[in-house]
Amino acid sequence: MWLASKIKQVLMVAKPGVVTLKYPFAPHPAPENYRGAPHWDHTKCVGCAGCANHCPARTILVRDLCQEIRVLLYDGARCTYCGRCAEVCPEKAITMTPRFEQATSDRNDITESLELFMLTCGRCGRCYDMEKTNAIDKLGLTGYRYDSLEARTVLRRATDTFQPKELDRTERYERPETTGD
Amino acid sequence: MDALTRIETELRSRLGPAVQGLSSPQPGRLFVDVERRALRPAAKALIDLGARYMVGIGWDEIARNGTIGLAHTFAFDADHVAVVLRAAAPAGDPSFESITPDIPSAGWSEREYQDLLGLTFTGHPKPKRLVLADDWPAGVYPLRKEVPYNLEPPAAEDVAYRLDEAPPGTTVVPIGPFHLSLHEPEHFAVYVDGETIKGCDYRGFMTHRGIEKLCQTQVSYNEVPFVAERICGICGSVHACCYSQAVEAAAGLKISRRAEYIRTIMLEIERLHSHLLWLGIAGHLIGFDTVFMQAWRVREKVMWLAERITGNRKTYGMIVIGGVRRDITPEIRAGIEDVLAALEKEVLELKRAIIGDSAIHRRTKGVGYLSKEEAVRWSLVGPVARARGLRLDVRKDHPYAAYDDMAFDVPVADSGDVWGTLVVRVLEIFESISILRQALAGMPAGPLLIEAPEALPPLRHGLSMVEAPRGESVHYVITGEENRPERWRVRAPTYPNLQAVPQMLLDNQFADFPIILGQIDPCFSCTDRVAVIDAGSGRRRILGRTELEALSRGPEAGRSRS
Repeated sequence: MWLASKIKQVLMVAKPGVVTLKYPFAPHPAPENYRGAPHWDHTKCVGCAGCANHCPARTILVRDLCQEIRVLLYDGARCTYCGRCAEVCPEKAITMTPRFEQATSDRNDITESLELFMLTCGRCGRCYDMEKTNAIDKLGLTGYRYDSLEARTVLRRATDTFQPKELDRTERYERPETTGD
Repeated sequence: MDALTRIETELRSRLGPAVQGLSSPQPGRLFVDVERRALRPAAKALIDLGARYMVGIGWDEIARNGTIGLAHTFAFDADHVAVVLRAAAPAGDPSFESITPDIPSAGWSEREYQDLLGLTFTGHPKPKRLVLADDWPAGVYPLRKEVPYNLEPPAAEDVAYRLDEAPPGTTVVPIGPFHLSLHEPEHFAVYVDGETIKGCDYRGFMTHRGIEKLCQTQVSYNEVPFVAERICGICGSVHACCYSQAVEAAAGLKISRRAEYIRTIMLEIERLHSHLLWLGIAGHLIGFDTVFMQAWRVREKVMWLAERITGNRKTYGMIVIGGVRRDITPEIRAGIEDVLAALEKEVLELKRAIIGDSAIHRRTKGVGYLSKEEAVRWSLVGPVARARGLRLDVRKDHPYAAYDDMAFDVPVADSGDVWGTLVVRVLEIFESISILRQALAGMPAGPLLIEAPEALPPLRHGLSMVEAPRGESVHYVITGEENRPERWRVRAPTYPNLQAVPQMLLDNQFADFPIILGQIDPCFSCTDRVAVIDAGSGRRRILGRTELEALSRGPEAGRSRS
């Protein structure tokens, strides 16, 4: 009995041979439909903040820097890759990429931030997205002016090294009463 | 006379006017409101009728009507009915009579609400702290509404859990809290006489994450399934499905049949890989690593399959309230069928190679024995109960998802030991494969997700059970007013099973401790270092290798042995 079992076990082990994959020395692409790191398409995003609203991990932040600029910050460090953001996005601006090798020593590697140029609604004063053209065109179109020194410092920093702390400062930043002229 | 009427008549005749209300808003569910003083007699009456205790649920209603609610849930498995006994106590005097003397498996539920809600239970045989950390300040009850979810009281250094007094003539061998091969921190103080286990005290809940509190205060209804999935490292779909079903039951939502079939498929895929994982770990625990390697090699196919279906190998994110998120397309269906065919062959081969191995027999037969009567008394669930001759399976007893359409067997063993749980689990793998094939063949067309109403009706109660690979998971939901559950209670299958482990350990060899604990499906291994706690002073010293060797060589250096 014991010997018979051992023989069967040897056969069972021998048949498949080595099954260990060569990864990471050979690439091992994720399958189709894999839910990897999400990616935002800034040309499609209208800044509705639906993704931020539905994120179970609360790792997507949407804040208005000033009247015309809405910042969307995705911090991948806390992301659970559930894909809920991509699912609820009305403009299909979010795709779940097959990227899964996300380990990094620098948080910025897995952070995405978007600066969305919004227009002010003549009626309610809230902002909305203008047109889906390029960012430089938008600058001219929206009548955006660097009308505040404070906003400018925040923006400059926001562009390359975005810090959540800066967002806290912008929370306290007093918005201009009138826009454009 | 049907079961509901029988239970109702019995409760009314035993308790009279103490039964304040009785309703059955969903089929197979009976909600009974009783006076506080009648809670214990009512629970006793249900147990006498043959009920199985499931779990207790406590909730804070102080802001609404000045009371704290407590519910005990019972299952009448043969009658396909679940009964919820609800009572309330004023916040000024939140005391109930303990039901633990009648129902030992209610012990943890009551201790939990003693910690989390500040309830007191008169007559509880072991009213020690269970969930909260030892240095958590007294008088702060985290599940009460006024306590913020992110409260961080300062840590204290000089408090420690007081272990039970060791029986005379025994030595304490602590296993945990951090142990070489433990997946989670938990602490067993095992009282041994020589090599024989004479008792055990358990201190767990060291990774209590406060998920229930978080989901009751921070996220909204349809974000909870993603948090629920992370309760367990294996049964993600089970918890997401169980929660969604509880909300759907409370709100009266009916999801599409296709979504129910897809849920069934996800649950069975999970059972497949969980049982293979357990088989591997069980082999590893008894020092038979061939089983471990081979079971996990076979299991990997299932993980890749899950990855193809859902987009991830473990956190599937498939199930939300109102249905599922992804469809089973014809291509995926073909993929599943291929994997099932290969899997069936390989598991059969694995089974044949190990089932007759006398090494496994010697390490599992007669080990961790618990009689059928004890299994009933401790309300065991899942394969652990089925190995003790109890034909319990939520899929049959309280059908959910598409299980009412499936034809399958519930394997039962009556050996009452670890061997029985092994046999039951291996046989269940084949049943799962058969269920998956039936589900794929019979899947009707239909929408994946139904449109849920803008706001779910508040303060409705919903109870749902799902057969996880380890046994029955129970979720209880009270719907809330702010687009999130007012109360969400989760009970995983290990909760009742672990309470019976001290009983299973009695008079077994210490070397069998890992597999006895492992049969319920957490995992343990032996160690190359021991910490000795002096039972009198509670002082602890760690012995290194040289000291241990000296101990084992010098007969007088060892502790007293009878």
